[in-house]
Amino acid sequence: MGHEAVRQQRMEPGSPGTAAVAADRPLLSVRGLSVRFDGAPKGVNVVDDVSFSVSKGKTLCIVGESGCGKSVTSLALMGLLPTPPARIVAGSALFDGRDLLAMPENERADLRGDRMAMIFQEPMTSLNPAFTIGDQIAEGIVRHRKVSKAEAMERALDMLRKVRIPAPEKRLRAYPHEMSGGMRQRVMIAMALANDPQLLIADEPTTALDVTIQAQILTLIRRLQEETGTAMILITHDLGVVAEVADEVAVMYAGRVVESGPVEAIFEDPQHPYTIGLMGSVPSLGRRQGRLATIRGTVPPPELMPRGCRFTPRCPFADSRCVNEPPPLGEIVPGHRARCWYAPLEKYRGAVA
Amino acid sequence: MSVMPSNNDIILEGVDLKKHFGGGGIFSSPTVVRAVDGVSLGVRRGETFAIVGESGCGKSTLGRLLLRLIEPTGGDVRYEGQSILKLSKSELRRLRRELQIIFQDPFASLNPRMNVGDIIAEPIWLHGLASGEGKRERVADLMRIVGLLPNHADRYPHEFSGGQRQRIGIARALAGDPKLIIGDEPVSALDVSIQAQIINLLEDLKDRFGLTLVIVAHDLAVIRHMSDRVAVMYLGEIVELSETDALFDDPLHPYTQALLAAIPVPSPSNRQPKALLQGDVPSPAAPPSGCRFHTRCPHARAVCKEQHPALEQAPDGRQVACHFWREIQGAGAGSISAPPPSPALAKRLALYRTWRERQDKPVATSP
Repeated sequence: MGHEAVRQQRMEPGSPGTAAVAADRPLLSVRGLSVRFDGAPKGVNVVDDVSFSVSKGKTLCIVGESGCGKSVTSLALMGLLPTPPARIVAGSALFDGRDLLAMPENERADLRGDRMAMIFQEPMTSLNPAFTIGDQIAEGIVRHRKVSKAEAMERALDMLRKVRIPAPEKRLRAYPHEMSGGMRQRVMIAMALANDPQLLIADEPTTALDVTIQAQILTLIRRLQEETGTAMILITHDLGVVAEVADEVAVMYAGRVVESGPVEAIFEDPQHPYTIGLMGSVPSLGRRQGRLATIRGTVPPPELMPRGCRFTPRCPFADSRCVNEPPPLGEIVPGHRARCWYAPLEKYRGAVA
Repeated sequence: MSVMPSNNDIILEGVDLKKHFGGGGIFSSPTVVRAVDGVSLGVRRGETFAIVGESGCGKSTLGRLLLRLIEPTGGDVRYEGQSILKLSKSELRRLRRELQIIFQDPFASLNPRMNVGDIIAEPIWLHGLASGEGKRERVADLMRIVGLLPNHADRYPHEFSGGQRQRIGIARALAGDPKLIIGDEPVSALDVSIQAQIINLLEDLKDRFGLTLVIVAHDLAVIRHMSDRVAVMYLGEIVELSETDALFDDPLHPYTQALLAAIPVPSPSNRQPKALLQGDVPSPAAPPSGCRFHTRCPHARAVCKEQHPALEQAPDGRQVACHFWREIQGAGAGSISAPPPSPALAKRLALYRTWRERQDKPVATSP
């Protein structure tokens, strides 16, 4: 990547990690992560220069639509990206002081499922239909702890209680198909938390669930997080979920973080045109406010990705500068950043009406 | 039907509709899933009527019953006052022109071996509406109407994105000049920004062609935005039917209240603990006795277990199936407060809309 040097400089002074190091060093600090798929046009990374950090007990939400790179980012962190075709071409991910991306595979395997765990969107496809729930939870415990199978089963039972599954003794011997979607997702959470991970990555954990079950699961995750102090990265496309659980938010578009900051700042003072358009696209629960605002068109395919700001073809405010020069993720107020040449918009785009 | 007193211009009506699936396997005792169990409703001409509920509540089955895409186990469907269950094949085919459906997954509902032009032209040809040059023009027209480029008519479904495929599905539904369109989760597979485009498109088309829309969905925000009246379903039954604003401002049935309370509110400064519904939806193969909601209802009493509540009339033409809705309503539970957008967001959204309109001007197609 030709821009590498420039990028490094840009990131250094303002990285949220360095300022508050002594008091609150983030558990995970991702810097300039770029992932490339083989065969993609030159210079178009599926994840491009993504930086964020999560602290103990906090929740970072990564928001974006399909194809924005949010799942690829999380898989890269877990070391679950298939290489080829995916290659991590730049960046670092300091987890508890060690760079995940530079670690040998056997050390990562020791971390995975132990210090860091993941919950996926569709619990049915991530559970093995041929083994009981208890076996599957215990497997992860035995892999990382020096315990007997019986002790691991005991721990598995504890976990089922913790995620408030009714009749846990019976459920321990149940198979995944005997459970409802909400119950399966509870099992996934029990499995992920069985070794008291420091970091939990949840990729759309409630998207496949009904709204009343979603509310149960979100409440459960939050309560467990309070009990254990686990840091969480929650990936979602649902702004309502973000508002409910996030401390920090990173909005992604076409592989880049376009806006990041504390959740209040994102919702009360959104800066990037994409964030604003997204909020205008969501129907309100209050009385109807007229037509929905829309974002024109769709995410461009890699071969048509603009050189500058990737939102240019859909952005109502874009001009020739946006087409050619990629804007930096500039700081609006401390902690709140937006990747737009014209933020705040009312200053640069308010006059002409 | 006695339950629709205020407006008599009913275009499509379901009367005590039942659909039971299943029966015995060779080795198992018969299990009957009561997917739809005694539903009566009337859709008024020109309105947007929403059917909402969680998975397994029978909402999609009801949608299909209303079009006679599946045969009901009991009850009747009347279109323009006439039962459609006794129609012959050719009469039914004529009816299909006027009643159309849009599916959730546009990819699964479009033939991958046909190009888009042929997909849209098929109903035109089938109903003998136009041929030759006239047909081609009509296809181009339809594509323009739904925001597709007519010169893409020779492409195949896989070459389009999810939102565009949904537009193809809509164009095809429009091809026969329908009077009523049922949308079965028409936007739930789409990304938020694309979802907004399709919602706006459906609203535009409804105005332009004087359509009646029936939207089957689980997303309550979408329903509030689009619909005039809502029927809330639980385990094969309608538990509440009401004007949209009344339902959201003052939900009567405890299930409606729980559904509304469970929606995440997009405002981080208003987080508050919620009264959550416990447990899962029971299996429709073995619905609970009495009121089907009593196993999860925070207000349930002894009588709820035994007596099945009828859908009764409430003020303002509303209907609710609960023994205690009056008392529960007195407790003031359920209504949701959606905080207005912050001043900064409101200001920038206004700015966004202004520039967005300007963005559309040079090309006069819809978004």
